[in-house]
Amino acid sequence: MADIICDGKTTRDINAEIKRLIANGETDICMRNPVARHNLGVAILQSVKLTFDGSVGYYCAGMVDGPTVEIKGSAGWGLAESMMGGTVTVEGNAGNGAAASIRGGTVVVHSDAASRLGVSMKGGLIIVGGNCGYMAGFMAQRGTMIVCGDTGEAFADSMYEAVCFVGGNIAELGNDAIIEQPTAEDLTFLESTLSQHLPSRVGNSQAPIRNFKKVVSGRKLWNFDKDERSVWREAL
Amino acid sequence: MPDKSDYLRTSGTFTPDIIEDIQVKAELGRYRIRGFGTLRERRWATFDDLTFIPCTLTRIPLEGYRERCSPKTLLGTRFAEKPIELEVPIMITGMSWGALSYNAKVALAKGANIVGSSNTTGDGGMLMAEREHSRTLIYEVLPSRYGIDVHHLQMADGIELTIGQGAKPGTGGLLLGSKVLDTVAEQRDLPLGVDQRSPARHPDFLGPDDMIIKIEELREATDWQVPIFVKMGATRVFDDVKLAAKAGADVIVVDGMEGGTGASAEICQEHTGVPTLAAVCEARAALEDLGLYGEVQLIIAGGIRHGVDAAKAMALGADAVYIGTAGLMALNCNKPIHVEDYHELGTEPYHCHHCHTGRCPVGITTQDPDLMKRLDIDEAAERVANLLQAMTSEIQILARACGKADVHDLDPEDLRALNLEASMICGIPLVGTNRVFGGGPGWKERE
Repeated sequence: MADIICDGKTTRDINAEIKRLIANGETDICMRNPVARHNLGVAILQSVKLTFDGSVGYYCAGMVDGPTVEIKGSAGWGLAESMMGGTVTVEGNAGNGAAASIRGGTVVVHSDAASRLGVSMKGGLIIVGGNCGYMAGFMAQRGTMIVCGDTGEAFADSMYEAVCFVGGNIAELGNDAIIEQPTAEDLTFLESTLSQHLPSRVGNSQAPIRNFKKVVSGRKLWNFDKDERSVWREAL
Repeated sequence: MPDKSDYLRTSGTFTPDIIEDIQVKAELGRYRIRGFGTLRERRWATFDDLTFIPCTLTRIPLEGYRERCSPKTLLGTRFAEKPIELEVPIMITGMSWGALSYNAKVALAKGANIVGSSNTTGDGGMLMAEREHSRTLIYEVLPSRYGIDVHHLQMADGIELTIGQGAKPGTGGLLLGSKVLDTVAEQRDLPLGVDQRSPARHPDFLGPDDMIIKIEELREATDWQVPIFVKMGATRVFDDVKLAAKAGADVIVVDGMEGGTGASAEICQEHTGVPTLAAVCEARAALEDLGLYGEVQLIIAGGIRHGVDAAKAMALGADAVYIGTAGLMALNCNKPIHVEDYHELGTEPYHCHHCHTGRCPVGITTQDPDLMKRLDIDEAAERVANLLQAMTSEIQILARACGKADVHDLDPEDLRALNLEASMICGIPLVGTNRVFGGGPGWKERE
């Protein structure tokens, strides 16, 4: 494993060093003391392991495709935004817009995620061990979002084909979001996914798998329909 | 017999157009949607309200048909390792594959390439064919992030972070279900046939402070090699341009209210934004106010029709202009061919604004394979190239007449206003006077 000591280095220096190490064949790199710098580990396209030994700022692991990223702290806004593949795990909390617009890969937040989690997600898997803020899943197109705790208002608003699972309370469903009974396959999927990424959550008496709610699009906003006045009044 | 005019009186408030509008909405149950851009009668000051004052005795012109007048254009010199070098100052603006057909996108790319101009992707991501046929391709990062792909981002020659669009600032894109078909739906990760309504806000930043960090992210993702553009619809231009420049943009694109769109609420096209003429003046003043004029390049868009509009925009402060609708017209938009299909849409050639329907009679704004076949890519590309060349030659002849050996040397002193409004907006003298009547935000009297 190679270490990068971040003290005294700029974002550009750190990212350049990551890329240099990867180009030299290094597959396991640890960034020591990242002191919440923004834009660390952006656009890494190789299957390498990156560990941030502390909290990170905005857009950490943004636009990545392939790496396994571990953040041993919390993350700022836009964690893993537009990611295409790989795994990004945050031990602490994630700021606004975590996993926004991801098209693939897995984002795991062990604690809470702030507002606009998974906005416009187009694929992939998002798992939050704790709660999430308002507008999570807004306009989510594809992929799966699992929130083990509670959600904020306007949850899953205006979605397309994304599927959400919530273990706790939903403060308010967003426009055109509906709750559906999870299927047996859904529960099996939840069990295996949480066992893999958040093993401490499995068997949690406060949010047993069987109590998870499934939220999908009611599809009333997919096409203009003047007869759906109440839905469209909010959306137009 | 009473005269018809005695009893057929028309309300000045509820005109026939307004009555028709009310009755259409009473059927639709929503705002009206269409494409093209504003159809309003132009009662505001435009580039037509300016005139060039070429050389006579106080200045010496260049030979109009012989002496060199360079149209070469350099963009993104502020931070990027590889600024964009173009042979002409007219560029093709971002228009999505989805709103436009595959043939139209490729023809625009090829046409721009022939004359050393650039092409821009659009809402929906990069079409590989446009990358292959573009020497210079700008990759738009829009609020929807449809088709966002880091691999494509890294293949681009410039990144354009789009905040808004002149035809409909403050709102997202719109692509009706008739166009969300097959590969377009797949590239956008959308279900087939949905009426796609794009978000207006970016998913991962909100204001200019966050945008500073977002721009840095884009630079890190592209290794600081290519310029970062910030594109905005023209609203509070003076303030917005300053914020974009402070946020670190290499190039700022301001899109005036005359800009086009494939589909939007009609009221947005008709009643939002400020005209392109005002936009360029405010944008220049903003950059001058920051001491960044010349360091941050300015591209002006929105209803640019010919080299005269472009030359006036450049004299007022633009380094280059984008064209969209004019480029589509070179492809054949509104040409009187396949007239029966215009009639089927309830329109006529020269009047069509039915881009939103997906039934474009000339194969440009459609995903219908049969309609698309009507647009021959190579022939259309040649027409686009010819238009770009013609517009450039129009700029050059005006610049030479003003004694300029480089089209970028045109400046406000080469212009006079034909009316008070244009003088007040542009801060240049009214013809027949030495007086400047007004000037926009941040305007300072020139020495």
